[in-house]
Amino acid sequence: MKKYFAFLLTAVFFHASAAHVTLAAPEETGHGGDIIYTKPVKGVLFSHANHVEAVGLSCDSCHDTIFPMEARAVQKNKDFTMASLYKGKYCGACHDGSMAFASNTQCARCHIGVKGFERLQKKSK
Amino acid sequence: MFKIENLKKESLGKLPLLERREFLKMGFVVTGVFAGGSILSLVSNAEKVFASAGEFAEKYPYKPHYSMVIRQNLCIDCERCLEACRTTNEVPDYGYRTAILEKHVPEAVGQKTEFIPVLCMQCNDPPCVRACPTKASYKDEVNGIIRIEKKKCIGCKVCMVACPYNARYFNNETRAIDKCDFCFETRLSKGEKLTACSAVCPTGARTFGDISDPSSEVYRMVHQLQKRVWVIRAEAGTKPNVFYMKS
Repeated sequence: MKKYFAFLLTAVFFHASAAHVTLAAPEETGHGGDIIYTKPVKGVLFSHANHVEAVGLSCDSCHDTIFPMEARAVQKNKDFTMASLYKGKYCGACHDGSMAFASNTQCARCHIGVKGFERLQKKSK
Repeated sequence: MFKIENLKKESLGKLPLLERREFLKMGFVVTGVFAGGSILSLVSNAEKVFASAGEFAEKYPYKPHYSMVIRQNLCIDCERCLEACRTTNEVPDYGYRTAILEKHVPEAVGQKTEFIPVLCMQCNDPPCVRACPTKASYKDEVNGIIRIEKKKCIGCKVCMVACPYNARYFNNETRAIDKCDFCFETRLSKGEKLTACSAVCPTGARTFGDISDPSSEVYRMVHQLQKRVWVIRAEAGTKPNVFYMKS
């Protein structure tokens, strides 16, 4: 009986770790993984894992209304700025201080900076 | 002649007391005095010594008394300041005049990273100047900026060791120590009002100005009670002119 439990535990453990590995690969997670913006400033991280898995948002919460499906497409827009966010555009649609933390607070929560950007690039290589 | 016991002690441990004595001798208030702890001590100090804030301001030893206030929480490590500094002051890849430190607090709620821009603190009591054997490092008598006379520098790097802020590097091209001079040579002396880093900062994390002028932004940021203002490594007793706060 004891042996059976030990086997079951290891099986569960392996299953869990395997699941963890699949979560790390964006194409199998059903979401877009980490999106790092480089314009207008370098190193802004949007984590799909945080928004979809931890917060529980669905794809159509943001796509295709606030953000198109194409990653970083909004970077080409001239109004992709903090000022627009404060007016409720882009991330500011939720990050207004009531739905989610306001976009004029906790700067370095999304702005991972050049250092964070380079670290993530090294990791993905 | 030179007996070791007659020489001034240079160790950091001896600094604060000595500085305090020197300060009392000088008979005027210098910026670093109220940077030792909370802003409350600043005001009480000021009130003890002078009747009004205006009088207090007049006692800043330099004119203009250049100062920078860094609002730490606004830094997003976009590193535009670093780029601007490199191009403006011809800083090579291996060197730096300013840097951005990163502090991680994994157990924090919400934001877990903080960026801290650092540069030469342009100390009122600069250990680097005291350490320099050739007087290549000096404190500008007009504006208080710590500058280097390159042709006098012998590259001994004693100043690099003396600096508590790691603000200096050896430039292989000029064969001299190089450091932040608040862009004095490249900008301020040519009529510009701001350093390259503060001019380019998109978030306003670096505010630059004349702290001896009560109408300046830096003066107003340091001389208020609502937000705490501090300096880095106050215990070194160097009386920095770069202040830190959160907005």
